[in-house]
Amino acid sequence: MSKSIARVFLVDDHPLVREWLTTLINQLTDLTVCGEAASEEKALEGIRDTTPDVAIVDLAMPEGSGLSLIKNIKAHVPGTAVVVLSMHDERFYAERAFRAGARGYVMKGESTSSIATAIREVLSGKLYLSPRMQTVFAERFADGGIASLNTPIKKLSDRELEVFRLLGQGYETRRVAQSLNVSIKTVQAYCARIKEKFQLANASELLREAIRFNDAQSSG
Amino acid sequence: MGTWTEQVEKQSKARIATAAILLALCVGAFDYATGTHISFSAFYLLPVSLAAWFLGANFALFIAALCVSVWIAGNTISGDEDFATPFLIAWNGTIQFTTYVVVVLVMAKLRSLNQGLESRVRDRAAELTREIAERERLQQLVLEASEQEQRRIGQDLHDGLGQHLAGTAIAGQVLREKLERRCLPEAADAKKVVELIEEGVSLTRQSVKGLYPVDMNAEGLMLSLEEFTVTTSRLFDVNCRFICESPVLMHSAATAEHLYRIAQEATRNAVQHGNAHDILVELGVLEEGYELRIEDDGIGVPLAPPSTPGMGMRIMAHRARMIGANLEVRARLSGGTAVICRLPVAIEDQLAS
Repeated sequence: MSKSIARVFLVDDHPLVREWLTTLINQLTDLTVCGEAASEEKALEGIRDTTPDVAIVDLAMPEGSGLSLIKNIKAHVPGTAVVVLSMHDERFYAERAFRAGARGYVMKGESTSSIATAIREVLSGKLYLSPRMQTVFAERFADGGIASLNTPIKKLSDRELEVFRLLGQGYETRRVAQSLNVSIKTVQAYCARIKEKFQLANASELLREAIRFNDAQSSG
Repeated sequence: MGTWTEQVEKQSKARIATAAILLALCVGAFDYATGTHISFSAFYLLPVSLAAWFLGANFALFIAALCVSVWIAGNTISGDEDFATPFLIAWNGTIQFTTYVVVVLVMAKLRSLNQGLESRVRDRAAELTREIAERERLQQLVLEASEQEQRRIGQDLHDGLGQHLAGTAIAGQVLREKLERRCLPEAADAKKVVELIEEGVSLTRQSVKGLYPVDMNAEGLMLSLEEFTVTTSRLFDVNCRFICESPVLMHSAATAEHLYRIAQEATRNAVQHGNAHDILVELGVLEEGYELRIEDDGIGVPLAPPSTPGMGMRIMAHRARMIGANLEVRARLSGGTAVICRLPVAIEDQLAS
């Protein structure tokens, strides 16, 4: 019996959220709350001690940051999967949270009923995203997605690849131009061609793909 | 006063003194050379005035005495009848000297009045500069205060009310699940309540966005502007697009926020006052810096700028000044308005470091 009950650790600075989240989770037969914390430091301590199956983490905390907590959990307690439950807009934070090592993202107040689903999905080894973000992610990968397949990267010329790589390392247009010793207009022309080849809508997407590419390169 | 006086003023006192003495001797020489019938006495006023204006009354009196001596010497040597006896010399000399003394005193008084006036003008100008600086500082304080207040309200809504509502939604969800487990029809009502609270959270989140906009990491400005254009299109039923050709990363959060607010204000103007339907927000990199450009197809700006520009316009200009950028508002040839804010690259780098 106790073997099948998954243990959940809550990290949220808002007591009301912690209190009712505990009630919500504890009334489910397959989940139980094993601890809670309101700051990054206390959370990491608690998670190390209790080694829960899942940690539910808020991104905004008065002390510390959710994103760095996720990275720390991933590094020090790899057996604990992280689900983000945040007020922050998933369109801007989901990807960053996933990059830091989260396995699920639920926006507070968007779909309260899916919190349990998110925890269960993540427990079964899957990723959890809201239907809207699933579409966004799928679209990103569908045509020009780079990280999913290695082939489209071959579409880039050497110079374009160089620009793309530098963008991924956090170089801005101006610094790319400086380090390649070309004009900004030239870099912009490369950016336009890369966007076209990968069918990216704008510079933010270009930057995102470049960072993703850089992450993939450095981690593997 | 004229520029020649300023030129003279720049010379050293010794030089002016030498010039005055030489001038007095020269006039004396001419006086002597031209004989007794041609009077030169008025020309002595030249060195006397020069000394009175630039070197002060005492030295001017010395020059006056010198002039009188030279005059008497010249006329006596050339055998003028008016200088035949010591009495005549004394009389004529005294009359001449007294005239010069009067001129010296008048000049000295004039000079001191003039100096007083000049220093008053300088003081007023300095006062005015101080006042302008103070006003600018106040303007900025007001702007900062209102932004700080907005940010505070935004944060309160986000971290306070939003979180409270989110917690309430979870509590509602707990109730709903309890009711469902007992198969009570009220579960549907509970579900509705949860949905209503969720709408509340969503509304809170939307309000926060207008109040406390830019998520301040380096790419925040691009993302925020993109989201802003999407929201504007939906809210005002216009076609508002964001174009950013290559990544623009802002290293200073304050600069990013000012640029965001300029775009927000320009867009609001275009929609509310310009009746625009197409609005383009463009963020770009130029060789010499960054450029934020907001173009619309509305009724455009009036050709002559009104003497009292609107508050929004002034705040935009003030924001641009604050970050060292240059703001230009102009009518587009094809109709509508273009607001262009250019930020020199050195300034962003400086602010970032």
